[in-house]
Amino acid sequence: MSTPKRPFLWLMGGSAGSFTPVRRFVQQVPYLEEVAIVLCLHRMRNPRVGMIEAFGQVERWKLLEPDDKAAVQGGHIYLAPADYHLLVEEEGYMSLSVEEPVHYSRPSIDVLFESVVRARWPYAGAALLSGANRDGAAGLHLMHQAGHFTAVQDLTDAEIPTMPQAALDLFEPTRRFRAAELVQVFLHAVSLYK
Amino acid sequence: MLAEILPEVSDAQLERFFQVMLTQYGMDFREYAPASLKRRIGSVMRRYGLTDADTLIQRLVTQPEYFERFLNEITVSTTELFRDPSMWVALRVQVLPQFVSLPQLRIWQAGVSTGEEALSLAILLSETGLYEKAQIIATDIDKRSLEQAAKVSYPLRQRALYEQNFYAVLPGVPFSRYAEEKEGQLVFDPQLLRNVQFLPHNLVMDSPFGQFELVMCRNVLIYFTPSLQDRVVTKLVDSLVPGGVLVIGTKESLFWCQAAKRLTGVNEAERIYRKRA
Ligand SMILES: C[S@@+](CC[C@H](N)C(=O)[O-])C[C@H]1O[C@@H](n2cnc3c(N)ncnc32)[C@H](O)[C@@H]1O
Repeated sequence: MSTPKRPFLWLMGGSAGSFTPVRRFVQQVPYLEEVAIVLCLHRMRNPRVGMIEAFGQVERWKLLEPDDKAAVQGGHIYLAPADYHLLVEEEGYMSLSVEEPVHYSRPSIDVLFESVVRARWPYAGAALLSGANRDGAAGLHLMHQAGHFTAVQDLTDAEIPTMPQAALDLFEPTRRFRAAELVQVFLHAVSLYK
Repeated sequence: MLAEILPEVSDAQLERFFQVMLTQYGMDFREYAPASLKRRIGSVMRRYGLTDADTLIQRLVTQPEYFERFLNEITVSTTELFRDPSMWVALRVQVLPQFVSLPQLRIWQAGVSTGEEALSLAILLSETGLYEKAQIIATDIDKRSLEQAAKVSYPLRQRALYEQNFYAVLPGVPFSRYAEEKEGQLVFDPQLLRNVQFLPHNLVMDSPFGQFELVMCRNVLIYFTPSLQDRVVTKLVDSLVPGGVLVIGTKESLFWCQAAKRLTGVNEAERIYRKRA
């Protein structure tokens, strides 16, 4: 079976204190048709709707909560739906699952990051932002070990540094960043794979 | 420390796992979506303190008494009373009225897990006066979950969520009409199961077994690859009478399914479809 070309996958995980920087990123990031972005943000269980709207106006990118088995496509920004884990599959699509929460979280950042490594996705990078628990740290470490670009928000810049700190306790990422530099960090990560 | 990263299962091990499940237990897992399946196997390994999937596979070969428990552990049984309340409201408003004039109402709920979905439907049918003529066949691959379902008894910690969902669907109806706290459990009225039959059925292996006015199969397809989704949805649609209604999970889609051609949307946002006459 021939493998269709995979877009570069840029993953962002965050919890408390990450929504504002992620929203700013989404509004500012230049459109790249060969890049797919997946956002995994812990969120309140209710309301389950209205999250896409909360991102405001987004230029050119298609921002959506993917259905199960939606193909990973460039030019799209996918938001992991509330109450489902989002996993990337080797075949190039996303699976949703309601299996138990990880670090009390569904969607879990660890589950997403780990899936990208297990799926042997060829080109990927990930950023971990502010948050009040440890979700994402181990998954980001796994990505780092797999040779992917990894970035962790500066402890002094993160509204709640627990999540970035948990990652830094495990390894030194490719980059530490301040929220204001997110777009730059992203463009740098993408440029490494061109 | 990589506590949250589960033990890995190699492709070769997964292949052996498939073979054992198929030849020894007659169950085909080859087209389960791999990312989640590998996680499930990994989490069972962690629970049993195993680091090598070969050990687990060996146990499945030599200790068939393990099997039911193992199946219970690799399947994802997460469910709720009135999960996705807006779907149940849509079902009540847009679908149930068409059943009022029918002499009988045959319903199949596939992948019903620990039974909350069957109770949700039984309650809704009771409140709309349709229960007496209804016959609900509630199936799952996992016998342990079905045994649980027959007990109508759930951990008390679920109460807040179940009650919240209940009132979102049936505002003004007292929750206590159907459930009460008993000996530290949330216990539903066993009368709700009068017209419910729990049966083991494997959507992948087993044939459809009847004709139904309503088929619900929610949050099961997400565990299948697109090609298996296609085959299973064909079985579901084959099981519907013309004009019958299919409901799938809120985040599931029929994008990969040929049988979608035989359906029209009743409420696409809630994933409610009707079979063309
Ligand atoms: C996440 S639960 C869904 C429960 C309920 N339908 C809901 O939406 O809340 C998935 C269920 O699908 C069942 N399942 C998995 N594979 C199956 C198969 N091949 N045939 C029938 N049921 C299956 C599992 O045992 C589990 O109980």
